[in-house]
Formats: sequence, C-alpha cells, structure tokens
Amino acid sequence: MPLASALKVLIVDDQNSVRQMTRMTLGEIGIRLVHEADNGATGFQTATLQPIDLIISDFNMPEMDGLALLRAVRGHAAIRKLPFILLTGRGDRELVMKAAQAGVNNYLVKPFTTAILREKIEQVIGKLT
Amino acid sequence: MSSIEQLKLTFFDECSDLLQQMETGLTDIREGGGSEDTVNAVFRAVHSVKGGAGIFGFEALVGFAHVFETVLDAIRSDRLAITPDVVDTLLASGDVLADLVGMARAGETPPADFGADCRAALQRLMGEDDTVVAADDGAAAADFDDIDFTPVAVNLDDGLAGPQTYEITFRPHPDMLRKGSEPLDILRELRKLGGLELSAETDRVPGLPELVYDQACLGWTGKLETAVPEAEVVGVFDFVADDCELAVVNTTPPPPVPDLGIPPDIAAEATPVPPAALPPVSDAPALAAAPEPKSESAKPDAPKAAAPAKPAATTTRVELEKIDRVVNMVGELVIAQAMLGQIVQDLPESVSARLVQTLDEVVHHTRELKDSVMSMRAQPVGAVFQRMPRLVRELSAKTGKKVRLEMAGETTEVDRSIVEQLSDPLTHIIRNSVDHGIETPAERLAAGKPEEGAIRLSAGHRGGRIVIEIADDGAGINSERVLRKAREKGLVGADASLTEDEINNLIFMPGFSTAETISDISGRGVGMDVVRRNIQDIGGRISLKSERGRGMTIQLALPLTLAVMDGMVIRVGRETYVVPMSAMVECLRPPRSDIHDLVGTGGMLRLRGELLPIVDLGSLLDVRSAAAEDDGGGVVIITEAGEDIRFGLKVDELCGHQQVVIKSIEESYGSIPGISAATILGNGRVAFILDTEKLYELAALQSPMQSSIAAARAEAAVAATRN
Repeated sequence: MPLASALKVLIVDDQNSVRQMTRMTLGEIGIRLVHEADNGATGFQTATLQPIDLIISDFNMPEMDGLALLRAVRGHAAIRKLPFILLTGRGDRELVMKAAQAGVNNYLVKPFTTAILREKIEQVIGKLT
Repeated sequence: MSSIEQLKLTFFDECSDLLQQMETGLTDIREGGGSEDTVNAVFRAVHSVKGGAGIFGFEALVGFAHVFETVLDAIRSDRLAITPDVVDTLLASGDVLADLVGMARAGETPPADFGADCRAALQRLMGEDDTVVAADDGAAAADFDDIDFTPVAVNLDDGLAGPQTYEITFRPHPDMLRKGSEPLDILRELRKLGGLELSAETDRVPGLPELVYDQACLGWTGKLETAVPEAEVVGVFDFVADDCELAVVNTTPPPPVPDLGIPPDIAAEATPVPPAALPPVSDAPALAAAPEPKSESAKPDAPKAAAPAKPAATTTRVELEKIDRVVNMVGELVIAQAMLGQIVQDLPESVSARLVQTLDEVVHHTRELKDSVMSMRAQPVGAVFQRMPRLVRELSAKTGKKVRLEMAGETTEVDRSIVEQLSDPLTHIIRNSVDHGIETPAERLAAGKPEEGAIRLSAGHRGGRIVIEIADDGAGINSERVLRKAREKGLVGADASLTEDEINNLIFMPGFSTAETISDISGRGVGMDVVRRNIQDIGGRISLKSERGRGMTIQLALPLTLAVMDGMVIRVGRETYVVPMSAMVECLRPPRSDIHDLVGTGGMLRLRGELLPIVDLGSLLDVRSAAAEDDGGGVVIITEAGEDIRFGLKVDELCGHQQVVIKSIEESYGSIPGISAATILGNGRVAFILDTEKLYELAALQSPMQSSIAAARAEAAVAATRN
C-alpha cells in the first residue's frame, strides 16, 4: 500500500495556476513531494532524471503536449511503466480514447475535487495510506 | 489574502498573456495568416482560459470558452473553413472572452445574456446538430469511465521499470589519474547498481619501460543489467565525464507491446521514441560525443511532437513591488556613489590617486547594475499595442469606414511605467486617425485610394529614445480649416504667416478642436493638447507631419526610463542644474565674433554656417550669470528641442557628466515651467533637472520682438506646438 507522504508526483501543466491548484489538492490528501514542469518536454526531462512515482499531466500544452509526453514516457525503457494520469477539459472524449490507446492509466477532468483526485490516484496505484 | 485568492490572481495574470496570444493569433488569421500553428495557438489560449476558469468556478467564462473552443477545434481539424464571416465571429468572440475575463477579475457576475449573440453565431457556424456543443450544454462533466484504461495497480516498492541492459564503454584519458579520479572507484560504484560484466582493453598499455605510473592506459567495455534509470547510470560518471571517453547505451529490447493493450498501429507510433531525439534529457555530453552509432541511428524516427521548436525561455514572476525596491536602492546607490566621488575629489592627490581608479570601477558597475534592473522593469510595448486592433475594429464598425491596422516593433521594450501611461494617448491618437483622418470608403475610392484605409503603428529605438509612430493614409490635416479655427479662437494673430507644418501643429494647442460634427468617438473635450501633456508628463515629446490627401504621421519620442538618467551638471552664477544628456548635441566655447546680437533676443550663434538662437540660462531663470556680465565667453550647449529645433543654451560652466536619480518635484511644488524634476548631487545639494524644450518656449515668450506683437504671439504659439 503506497504511503501518500512518500509518493513523488510530477505535475505537468503550462498554467501556473493549475499547477498550484493541483499541488494544493494533492497536499490535502497528504501528497507533498511534488515536482512541476510547464510543458511536456521539461516534464519528460524531470521524469527521467528524478525518482517520480506518478505523472499528472495536462493535455494541452505548447512545445510538447500531454499525449506526446505520454508516448515519450511509454517509449522510454526506464520509465515506461510510470503511472500516468491525464488532465482534460470536458468534452474531450476523443482525446481520452487516444490516450487510453497510448497507455494512459487514468484521466482527470478539470475542475476536480479532492475526493475525485484521490479516487483516481487510488485506482491507478492502489489505496493510499 | 487566502491562497485561493492568490491563485486566482495568478490565473488572471496568465489570462492576460493568453488573451494577448489569442488576439495576436486572431489578428494573424484576419490578415490571412491562418496557418495551422496560428489556429492551434489560439485554440490553446482559449482552452487554457477555459481550464483555469473551470478550476476557479467562473461558469459563464467556461461556458463561452467552450463554444468558442469548439469552433476553433473545427477549424484546426479542417471541418470548418476560414471565411470572412468566420473571421468576424472569431474576432467578436475574442472580445467577448476578454470582457468575460475582465468581469471575472473584477468579481462581477456577467448578465445572463452576455455575449449571447456571439455565442449564437458560433453555434450557427458549427451547425445545430453539432454533438459536442450539445453534449456540453446537457450533462455536466463528461464521463469516460466506459473507456478501458486497463488501470494496472503498480507496486511502487518493486521499482517501476524492469531490468535494463546497458552497454558501457569507458576509456579514461591518460591524465585522469593526475586529476585525482580513480577509475576503479567508478567501476565499484557501477557494480553497486546491478549485474556488471566488464572486460578490460589492454591494447593501450605500453611496454614496461614506457609505462608512466600516473597515466591511465586501460579501458573497459561491458554490460550492466540494472533497474535504475539511465540517468543514474550516466550519473556515476558525472565527475569524470570530461576526462574519459564514455558511452552508455540502453540495449534493452523495446518493451513488449501487448502488456499495455495497445493496438499494433498505435504501438508502432508510440514505442520508438528514442531518448536521444529529445532535448537534453539523459544524454550526458560524453554520450553524444561517443562514437557509438546506435544512439545516432534512432534519431530519424523521432515523431514530430517530440522535436520542440525552440527552448522555452525560463522566466519567473516577481512582484513589481520587489523590483521597485531594487530600483530605489540603485537610485540611492547612485547618489551615494556621487557623494563618494565628491569626497575623493577633495582629498589630497597622494591619497586620491588609487581611490579614483577603484571608484571608476564602482561607477562602471553601478551603471551596469542600473541597466540590468531597468531591463527587468522593461516591458514590450506590444502590451499596449495589443489593445489597439480591437479599438480599430470597434471604431470602423461604428463609423462605417474600412480600416486595417498594421503593427511593427511590438517587442521594443520600454520601462513599465511608460508602457502603462501610453495606453490613453495611443487610444486617443488612433481614435482621431479613424474618426478624422481616414475617409469613408466612397471618399477614398473617389480619391483613387484603396477602399480600406491603413493605420500603421510602429515602435523602435532611436538615439537613446523610444520612438512610436502612428501613421495613417487618410486625408491629412486640412490646414486652411485649422488656420481659420485658430484665428477664430485667437490662438494666432490675423496676419501671422505660418508654414503648413506650423499650422498643422496648432492642433496641439489647448482648446483646439476642428471636427465639424462632434462625434461619439472623438471631439468630446479631450483634445490633442491633453495627449501632448500626457506624453510630456512621461518625459516624451510629440511631433506631427501631415500631407494633404496622403495622410499624417504622429511621432512620440519617449525616454527609456523614468528613474535614472545621464545628465550634464552645469553651473550658472551660484546655481547648479542638470541638463539631460539626451537633449545635448554638443558643447562649445564660441569666440565672441561668432555671436551676433539681435535686439530683444539672447543673440544668434553662427555655427558651421548655420544660425542658432541662443538662450541665456542666467537671465532666463533670473540667476546672476558670470557669462552675462563679462558679455561673451561662457559655454554654449547646443540643445535639441523637438524635431528640427536646435538652440544654444548659454551657461557659465560644465561641471561634469554623471548619472542622476530623477526625483519628482511635482507632488510638492506642482509643475514648474522649464524644470522637469530634481536630483541630489554628490555634495548632497539638490539640483533641478532642466526641461530644455520648455526653456526654449519660455525664452521665445520672453523675447519682445520689435516688429509686431502679433508675430511674436504666433511665433510663441508655433514654438509651443512644435514640440
């Protein structure tokens, strides 16, 4: 059972406000080891260089979007099994389908509550303690 | 402030950037540059606004952004063609979105039907049966739980990646040992990571007589099986990366696809993302230099998305207040340093000689420090320019005139405080251009011009100043009408003869307005005189050129900063003043024979065949002047006052060039003609900074011309408007 306080999460989003909000919400479920990246390319870099347990990434970003990041992660031998949750807006069904095919572990619709965030994380990595 | 409130502020800051990106993109699309990238950028901006708005619960904003985004999405996926109708709707939607953001920021709830027309227009574009729009209007958040994510629970304790095999080549350079690195230690570190199989290369080992004990001659190749990420493997070599030949290549076969449940066609696209194709990720420099062909061969397969266009600039947001504090401190530093200079000057030379040298360095560094701080405060003028396309759109809709706005030099940077104060004058000038300058389409066609009028807004650096130009191809100024009006209002004498340029500049006179009909747009009391005052308040000057039937150009010349400037300290009688370096052209001590007396003026100076008026600062400001008394001599500073106007400013002595901190005196003393601000000198005394243009006007006003008083008034009026 993963320990929330030991879980290292990487948030990838080009909007600082969304990153901060996600960080705050993660804090509410006891996850405090949080890395941030502002686009897919820097996110990928962080994921390969830092010990990360879970990626929560936005889809819509300049330079390298969430789907490209997901594919890069799934294609990189060392981190290809990294749990990956995609952040989406509403109505992006087509995108979620594509992401599912590319191996995303779950999705999260913005805006999300603490309870939903917890539920989605637990679906991916198991019950948090 | 709660942290949520703080986050909202961050969000609105982002919105400003995003709206600006959107506006730029939309303008591009209107100009016909609707490339895929442009549409994508607009889509992304609107989408990001929507995302943030959702998080903070601005429902109206989310709702509208969603419909807007849906249309943009249709355009970028070629389901909707860009027609003029579509462009108009997009532009209008951009305006509505900006308004909604504005309301959210102000804490207002928009009226229920706000932007309803626009929303309806967007929905019409998509056709009524569009499912995406409908889906949003119906259910709240879409649910995709029916999609199979195969959410495998991952055991974190296991480590996330399976064992990897790396092929390692490690050849220390001969001098590695001498640099204190021990290859054996590195190999031991490597062994700790997992199963290591190495073989030594002994071909570089020389015979015993040639063997040098501190030269490395062994090399190793082999395999490492480990679960740690590649970066960590490369990391072992961090300290010796420059002192060896190194290659770490992951030779693990590509991940078995079926375990993620990916169909083969997508897997083919997804899997071969080689780390080498991405920006500086795990590639240590040594790896890139390694003669291994394997990492090279993978590159051509890199998918498009993985190749970033350009590295994003790393930025950080700092509160303006903090920067202002630094600016203030730099100001104090400049003053303290000037004081120090003064003290050093008064010391006996035996002591001061070495101090002077060090002080020079301090002066140099202070200047650099000042420049860097000022560049932090600098902001591209684009921030103001971006508001203008919308203005022009609204104006042309109201007036029925067709106007195209072209912009150039938006990246030119000016001090933030100047950017903030540019908005009103620019808005006013552009309003004037559309309202009075550009003709109606019918008039334009009759004049043989294209139906659509053009306004060109440009910015650039010129001679230590920022120059902003607003040029239109309209009718230009009707100088007869201007002159008639000026005479009616008694601004110009009845028989004064003025050049066309002089007449055109009369529009900057207070109380001047020629619009035959007072329109909704301009001509409501606020005239060009206010614009001129606004520009002068920030230390700038405004000039105008007009050509009948061809259009007119208004030029704003602005200082780069408002806090510190380069000045020449001068003395007149017992008073000390500062002349801005930007206004100075040259200094000279003219022989008496070059100064020609002219009754009622300070005289004329013959300089290289040109006659320039002289303004005697001592008599103008009524301070006793040594130069005035011995009638001759003194130093003349050739000064620029606006476009094409030069005059000599007569002073007693030049005391030296220095950086001065501008301290406003307006709050305490109001506006004093001829004085723009004050500063504190090295000796602790306060000195006034002269406003050379105003001085020229004052001198012109004071000189009682012999010929006719009317002419003098006209002259004064012209001088006043010339700047």
